[in-house]
Amino acid sequence: MDQTSSNKPSGKPWLSLEQWRQDPEFLTFAEKEFRTSPLQSGDGVGGTARRDFLKLMGASLALTSFGCVRRPAQKIIPYAKKPQDIVHGLPNYYASSFVDGMEAIGILVTTRDGRPIKIEGNPDHPANMGSMSSRAHADILRLYDPDRYTAPKRNLQNKNRTNREIINARWEDLDKAVTEQLGKGKVALLTHNHSSPTTQALMEEFAGAFGGKIYQYDDVSYASLVEAQKASYGSATIPNYNIDRAKIVVAINNDFLGTWVAPVTFQRQFAMGRKKSTEGMSKLVVFESLMSLTGSNADKRYRIRPSQSLDVVMALLHELVVVRKSSRYASDDGVVRVLSGFSKSREDLGINVGEVAEELWKNKGQSLVLAGGMSADGDFGVALQVAANFLNAVLENDGKTIETGRSVTRGAPIGDLLNALNKKEITTLIVHGSNPVYSLPENSKFREALSNVEMIITTGDRNDETARLADYVATDHHALENWGDMQSLGGALSIQQPTIQPLHNTRAFQDSMLAWLKGAGKGSAKAKASETWYDYLNASWKTLSAGKTGKLNFEDYWNDVLQTGVMQGSNGAAGSRSLASGTLANVKPTAKRAGFELAIYQKVGIGDGRLANVPWLQELPDPVTKVCWDNYACISPKDSVQLKIKEGQYVQLTVGDKKIELPAHIQPGQADGVVGVAFGYGRNGGGSVVDGIGANAMTLAQWVDGRAVTAGLETTIKPLTKKTELAVTQGHHVMEGRQIVVEETLADHMKDPGGQVHRHNLTTMWSEHKYNGNKWGMVVDLNTCTGCGSCVIACQSENNIPSVGRKNVIDGREMQWMRIDRYYVGTPEDPDVVHQPLLCMHCDNAPCETVCPVIATVHSDEGTNDMIYNRCVGTRYCSNNCPYKVRRFNWFSYTDVKAPRQMALNPEVTVRNRGVMEKCTFCIHRIRGVKAQHKVHDTKLRDGDVKTACQQSCPSNAITFGDLNDTKSMVRGEFDSPKAYALLDELNVKPSVRYQVKVRNTDKLKWAPAHEPVPGAPHGQGHKPPAHGRAGEPLPHGGPPPPDAGPGHPPMPPHDPPPPPVPAEGGH
Amino acid sequence: MAKKIVGAVVVFGLLGGLSVFIWALTNNKIVIGYNKGYEPDQPIPYSHKQHAGQLQINCKYCHTGVDKSRHASVPPLNICMNCHLVVKTDSPHIQKLTEAYNSGKSIAWNKVNLLPDHVKFNHAPHIKAGKDCTVCHGNVAEMEKVKQVQSLSMGFCVNCHREKENHAPINCSTCHY
Repeated sequence: MDQTSSNKPSGKPWLSLEQWRQDPEFLTFAEKEFRTSPLQSGDGVGGTARRDFLKLMGASLALTSFGCVRRPAQKIIPYAKKPQDIVHGLPNYYASSFVDGMEAIGILVTTRDGRPIKIEGNPDHPANMGSMSSRAHADILRLYDPDRYTAPKRNLQNKNRTNREIINARWEDLDKAVTEQLGKGKVALLTHNHSSPTTQALMEEFAGAFGGKIYQYDDVSYASLVEAQKASYGSATIPNYNIDRAKIVVAINNDFLGTWVAPVTFQRQFAMGRKKSTEGMSKLVVFESLMSLTGSNADKRYRIRPSQSLDVVMALLHELVVVRKSSRYASDDGVVRVLSGFSKSREDLGINVGEVAEELWKNKGQSLVLAGGMSADGDFGVALQVAANFLNAVLENDGKTIETGRSVTRGAPIGDLLNALNKKEITTLIVHGSNPVYSLPENSKFREALSNVEMIITTGDRNDETARLADYVATDHHALENWGDMQSLGGALSIQQPTIQPLHNTRAFQDSMLAWLKGAGKGSAKAKASETWYDYLNASWKTLSAGKTGKLNFEDYWNDVLQTGVMQGSNGAAGSRSLASGTLANVKPTAKRAGFELAIYQKVGIGDGRLANVPWLQELPDPVTKVCWDNYACISPKDSVQLKIKEGQYVQLTVGDKKIELPAHIQPGQADGVVGVAFGYGRNGGGSVVDGIGANAMTLAQWVDGRAVTAGLETTIKPLTKKTELAVTQGHHVMEGRQIVVEETLADHMKDPGGQVHRHNLTTMWSEHKYNGNKWGMVVDLNTCTGCGSCVIACQSENNIPSVGRKNVIDGREMQWMRIDRYYVGTPEDPDVVHQPLLCMHCDNAPCETVCPVIATVHSDEGTNDMIYNRCVGTRYCSNNCPYKVRRFNWFSYTDVKAPRQMALNPEVTVRNRGVMEKCTFCIHRIRGVKAQHKVHDTKLRDGDVKTACQQSCPSNAITFGDLNDTKSMVRGEFDSPKAYALLDELNVKPSVRYQVKVRNTDKLKWAPAHEPVPGAPHGQGHKPPAHGRAGEPLPHGGPPPPDAGPGHPPMPPHDPPPPPVPAEGGH
Repeated sequence: MAKKIVGAVVVFGLLGGLSVFIWALTNNKIVIGYNKGYEPDQPIPYSHKQHAGQLQINCKYCHTGVDKSRHASVPPLNICMNCHLVVKTDSPHIQKLTEAYNSGKSIAWNKVNLLPDHVKFNHAPHIKAGKDCTVCHGNVAEMEKVKQVQSLSMGFCVNCHREKENHAPINCSTCHY
């Protein structure tokens, strides 16, 4: 089957290649609400299954009739000594900080009775202003990870460090052994970018006392970025980007919205430039190899191979400096000479970079070029960054959209450590916060070099790949159990404070350092005076905050900082800088690659793999591929045809003598000749959730000149016969309708906002509901939504939503209340992407309500569609009748979570058991809570008082929620805006959620406007095959009713007039 | 003959079972329906009659959460110790209390008033609306041992919510979510 034909009309958006091809299997699944039923999965004969069901029902009836005896004796155990600030039943919030790679953001931790249950963003922190990443949310489950070590461990090693016997250690014994060992000197402390100034001070003191040295290693390294900054500007920093000030952003293999440096901050800034969809809306141009989250949000996207990244930058420079002579560098002979060497780049690329260059120049000083990242960190990595720096300088962006940032250098590079290890210059190695044995390329020979060390101590919470080679695991606290401070890239100093007593017999690494210093009788006066790490931190902040406390004395100031989480006035750029001349001279053309090129990338959810043992993140569908629980090799549609590779078929990837095997995923929009593999899988020691999933991409990476090369490596692909099914969620929950996502060009939008929306003039035979008090509603702005998935995890954390595992996802039983549909528009080779978050629409004329036989789903006079769990008997009629497919059914009991994960459950939300339907509640418990508090305090509800979990978390502020009956509310304005449209409007179900159109800053869309029938496309009626005969109908009835549904089909609300049939080329 | 024996065994078995069942019901070993009338013994025979009745201690002095939160909350032992640090320290019950307080282990009271499952009840707005504690809890000030006096069934709640002067919502999601 030719899946790459470009001639096919592509009038409507599509979700998967199967849908694009109108695969018969896809059509069958699209019709059904549930892909499989456990009741049918026995012998496949409906009648037998039905009898089994009755048998089961009979048995449970017999049980319940005895179980229906009241008075389970319950105990109430009050506090013996209640802490003053705790009111049982009300949450307490603690301001703290979260560090993830290079990004440090402020968080607010919700605790109940001394137990943290959710992490939210701190609105006072300038880096994230209350928004969050999915990973920051998931950190709560790392605290309650059952695989965490509960006490320090000792690994009994043989000479080759292959012994696996693990015994419990006591802190006293550990301290004694370590202190003795440290006394021998030659200590190396390998740390990640912890972002903490005080920890850094303590580390320096510690290293100094033992004649040691600090080295730095991050599992995802930004070494080439920092190195190029040093070459171009003389300071080894990560610059401060002001994406909100840029009218045009050009990203070259750079996933700044998803994974690069500080995605939460960047998304927030990017959204500020997109929110006003009028003149001056920013434009995003992406050149990339894989389809990243950033690429999926591009206005204009070009496909390049990783090794062409440098060519793009140089071609742009050549165009601006040599061809157009626009910049002052045009008279710089040295620069012109270097650029002339790249005069062919433009032709090699086959891309008209002229128009991009023109737009960049038009917006000089208001443009931004971002380049590189893991998937373009080839042997050209540093050159690419240097060239991008130069391009930004040519465009006069320095000091405007890009400023001097802050150092993230915590120590000497890992290359130095390797040399020292190989020269046997190190007797003791302490590894903190990273996992080099897993994430360094094999040819770095790091593992082998470790046998030259006498003692290795790791500070992780488990025996990961590095810890297995260590002698001691000095179990560190989780960040929510520990004190600390942090400095974000923007400069904001924030505090990290514990929100719970340590769950296990762990000890802060900082306390360990202090203990070892004291054991050896060393350390500064401050260290000696500090009984604990808290004392040390407190003393350091006395110095840090000098002159900033205003009228407060330090004690009051400290309490103030603990309250707000941030040191006021600490944010801000670090000053101006100037480009060193002659940096471009070292930029050499990239060597041509034969065959496939490897591009290792980070997934939005998994990132550097630190949080990979959190099931939420494993089950978070990748924003673009929509695959969860899996690691796979992404190849382009054209390559898949050429190599005869099918989706899910295993392929063997070979770089040099290194091989891995992975199932293939065919990714629309990916550049040909590129194979993408995600980082963070193939773990052995990561924990019970992540171990055994996929293969380690870093097996294929190379260690070149003290840097890990993760892209542009020549790779061969060999298809294997093995096959698997990837756990992909897109293709489940398919909606059928005429206009699901609406896109407009900026020019059209400015002339007539919402002009592409097909409006319906509908009347109803139903008596309308009356809403006298509040009427809750929501608006989702498709233009700012980047599809990152932060809302999905926020919802999961807030509403006690279970993770169901890989097999259940394949069977279409994922439970997330919120899903983000990703639509492709255009051809599989070069599609545009629209992300659409989907949640319960809380329809005024809700189709689910009319069909529930037990009235378990009912309408409230506040406009919400309530789900009453204890009434639900699980007929699933409601789900069958939901045109948006947002209802989720508990096929199994997911309530027995492994201890202590149950501690993360939110007591405000019922934990649903088996056989019960559930769905988004509009965070009704938050509405109730806020209203109760207003009632108690005699205050009035104001706009913005109630925030849903998804809205609160969204980094791009795409979600607005509030009272539609309040004419002055923000949501009312957005709801009535001409940009807004109701999804599946033609059904007249009157959803309380509306979407605002996606505006693309481009001249032409990749599709015909959806409400005009696609020319030449056959219509739904009479469409073949017969299984597809209902295609013209507006509501997805599903096929036969489920076995327990009984005869007949539940009625639907009438609609008048019936909409005309849908063009068959659409999504059904 | 064998059949008769079997029949007799079955009949006696059933009769025996039934009598055990009736005994259990009448002796509060099992309760069918709501918990009205439930009056369990407590680890310390705390008397509301004495504290709330004779001594006229306000309910909120101990049940501090009632006007703030969902839970009225059973008082932490430090509230008991406000007085019992000096009052009646020779009583073995108070000594038990003091011991629990000092050891930090607290006391496991038997929960008396039990709402059916799947209901979210919030005390604070009800207190704010001026409802007296006795509406649901009866006259506790006269109870030596606390007893559930109302069924606390959905009907009990809804009857009150439906009364116009109460201006109370009757959405399902008022209580169920």
